[in-house]
Amino acid sequence: MSEKAVDAQGICKSYKSIHGKQSIVLKNISLKIDQSEIFGLLGPNGSGKTTLISIFSTLIWPDRGSLRILGMDAKSNKETIRSQINISTGKSNFPWSLTVQENLKHYAMLYGMHGQQLAGTVDEVINAFELEEYREMKFEDLSTGLKQRLSLAKAMLNRPKLIFLDEPTAGLDPEIALKTRKLIRGIHKEQEIPVILSTHNMLEAEMLCDRLAFIRKGKIVALDTPDALKHQLKLGEKVIVHYVGKLEIKELEKLPGVLNIIASPGKVEIVVDRTNENLDSIIKKFAEVRILDIKIKEPDLEDVFIELAR
Amino acid sequence: MSWQGELNKYLAGAYKNWIISKRNVFTLFELFFWPLISLLSIGLMTTFLRLGEQMVSFLLVGAVALSVLQVAQIDVAYVLLFDMWSKSIKNTFTAPVRSYHLIFGSLIFGIVRGTVVFTILVTLCYFFFGFNFLEGGLIPVLIFLAGVFSVAAVIGITVCISILTFGQKADVAAWSLSGIIMLVSGIYYPIEVLPAPLEVIARLVPLTYFLEYYRSVFIPGQHNLAIGIILAISYLILGLVLFERSIEKARMTGMILRLSE
Ligand SMILES: Nc1ncnc2c1ncn2[C@@H]1O[C@H](COP(=O)(O)OP(=O)(O)OP(=O)(O)O)[C@@H](O)[C@H]1O
Ligand SMILES: [Mg+2]
Repeated sequence: MSEKAVDAQGICKSYKSIHGKQSIVLKNISLKIDQSEIFGLLGPNGSGKTTLISIFSTLIWPDRGSLRILGMDAKSNKETIRSQINISTGKSNFPWSLTVQENLKHYAMLYGMHGQQLAGTVDEVINAFELEEYREMKFEDLSTGLKQRLSLAKAMLNRPKLIFLDEPTAGLDPEIALKTRKLIRGIHKEQEIPVILSTHNMLEAEMLCDRLAFIRKGKIVALDTPDALKHQLKLGEKVIVHYVGKLEIKELEKLPGVLNIIASPGKVEIVVDRTNENLDSIIKKFAEVRILDIKIKEPDLEDVFIELAR
Repeated sequence: MSWQGELNKYLAGAYKNWIISKRNVFTLFELFFWPLISLLSIGLMTTFLRLGEQMVSFLLVGAVALSVLQVAQIDVAYVLLFDMWSKSIKNTFTAPVRSYHLIFGSLIFGIVRGTVVFTILVTLCYFFFGFNFLEGGLIPVLIFLAGVFSVAAVIGITVCISILTFGQKADVAAWSLSGIIMLVSGIYYPIEVLPAPLEVIARLVPLTYFLEYYRSVFIPGQHNLAIGIILAISYLILGLVLFERSIEKARMTGMILRLSE
C-alpha cells in the first residue's frame, strides 16, 4: 500500500479547436494522492476538473508530464491500469435501449468477466446499489438519480482498486445527493479503495473529502484538508444581520468559531465555522439591538475563489 | 486473463449491437425491407429486359452482395456509432479494450445479420427468378461471403476512424462509402466498362475480385481470387493498425471526451 494512488508530475494539457486555435487547459499540475484518501477536485466551470480526471483515468493523454497510477506508469501499463480502475461521471450516459442489467452485463464483458463470476458480480452491484427494482428498466427510462446509481454500479464492476467520480451528484435533488454521498463513503470504507472526485459543491467536498485541491484556470491554487482550507481562507457559513442600534463588534469577534467579521453601518456579516454550534451565543450578542433581517449563507465556491484571489 | 474473459471482450460489442438491434424497428428495415426492395427491383428489371440466364445471375449476385455488404458494414460501424449517439464512448474507452476487440466483436454480429440477409435473398432468388446461388456448392458461397464480410469490416473500420478523427458528423461516411464501393467494384457491371482511372481504383478493391470469382461459378471466366484475398487481409490489418492509432490520437486531441458530451 506504499504506492500512491496517483502520482502526477508536471501535467500539461491543451486542446486544439477546429480552427486550429490552441487553448491551454491544464498548466503544470503536480499531485500525489494516497491510497487511503477520498480526494476532491474543486473548481469553477471550465477550470479543468474533467480533463484532469480523464487524464488520471487514462481516458485521454496529457501533452506533457509524468503520471503513475497505482504505482504503474500510465502510458506503458495502460491496460493493466484500466483493468484496475474505474470511473463514473455525474451526467453519465449509457446505451439507451439496454436495461440496467444488460448495461451492466455489457460493461462487465468489456472488463473481461465471464460465466458465473460475471453473473454474480452483476447481481452483486445491482443489490449493493439498490437497483433490483429497475433491473429490467431501459436506461432511457431511468430518472437522473437512477442513472447516476447505475453509473456508480458500473464503476464497481471490475472491483477497482481506485475509482474516479466526475461530479457524482450533479443534477441530483438534495436527498438523493445525500444518499449518493453516503454510498460513496461506504464504497471507500468497505472496499478500502481511494476515491478521487470532482465537485462544485463545497458541502459535498467537506463531507466526503480528506483533502481538496482547488483548480482554477488549469492550476492548483490551494491544496489541503477541508478544515485547514477553511481556516486558511476564513471560510464558513455567513450569518448576515441587518439591525438598528449599537452592536459590540469586538465582542462578536471574540466568540469561539467566529472566523471573520465584515461590518458596515446597520449590517454585519459574521463568518462562522459550520461545525461549531455557536449560533446561539452569536444571536445573544444581538439582544440589545433591533434585528431587521437575518440571513444565513452557506459558503460557496464563489467565496472560496474570492478568498483565493486575495 | 482467461481465454473466456478475453473472448467476452470481443463478444461485448456483439451483445450490445444485438440488444440494440432487437429493440429497434429500423432493424427490420435493414434486414428485410431494403434488401428486398433492392433485390426485387433488380430482379424485375432483368425480367423486363428479357436478359439471358447469365446476365440475370450477374446482376442478382451483385444485388445480393451489396445488401449483405451494407448490413455487415453498418454493424461494424455501429460499435462506435451507438456509443456516439448515446454519448457513452467514455465508458467504452476507460475499459481495457483494444481496437480489435471492438471491430471483431461487432463483426461477429455483422456476420450473423449478413448471413440472415443472404439466406433470405438467396431463397427469394431461387423462387422468384429461378437462380440458385448454391449451384457451385457451398465452398464458393463461403469464400464469397468471407470476401464480402472482410470488405464490410474494412468499411466499418474506416467509419470508426473517421468518427474518432473528425467527430460527430463523420457518420455520413458510413452511408457514402458503400455507395462508392458500389460504383467501382463491379456490382452491376464488369469493371471494364468503368473509365480508366476508376478501373484502376476498382482493381484496388478486394470486393471486385470476390465478385469475379463467385460469378465465374455461373459464367465461365477468369478471376484472381488470390489477389482479392491478399488485398482484403492487407486492408484489414492496415485498418486495425490505423484504428488503434486513431484511438490513441483521439485520446491526445480530446475527441474521445468531446464525443461523450
Ligand atoms: N474534448 C475537448 N476538446 C476541446 N476543448 C475541451 C474539451 N474538453 C474540455 N474542453 C475545454 O477545456 C476547458 C476545461 O474543461 P473541463 O471540462 O476539463 O472543465 P471542468 O472543470 O470539468 O468544467 P465543468 O465544471 O463545467 O465540468 C474548458 O474551457 C472546455 O471548454
Ligand atoms: Mg467537468
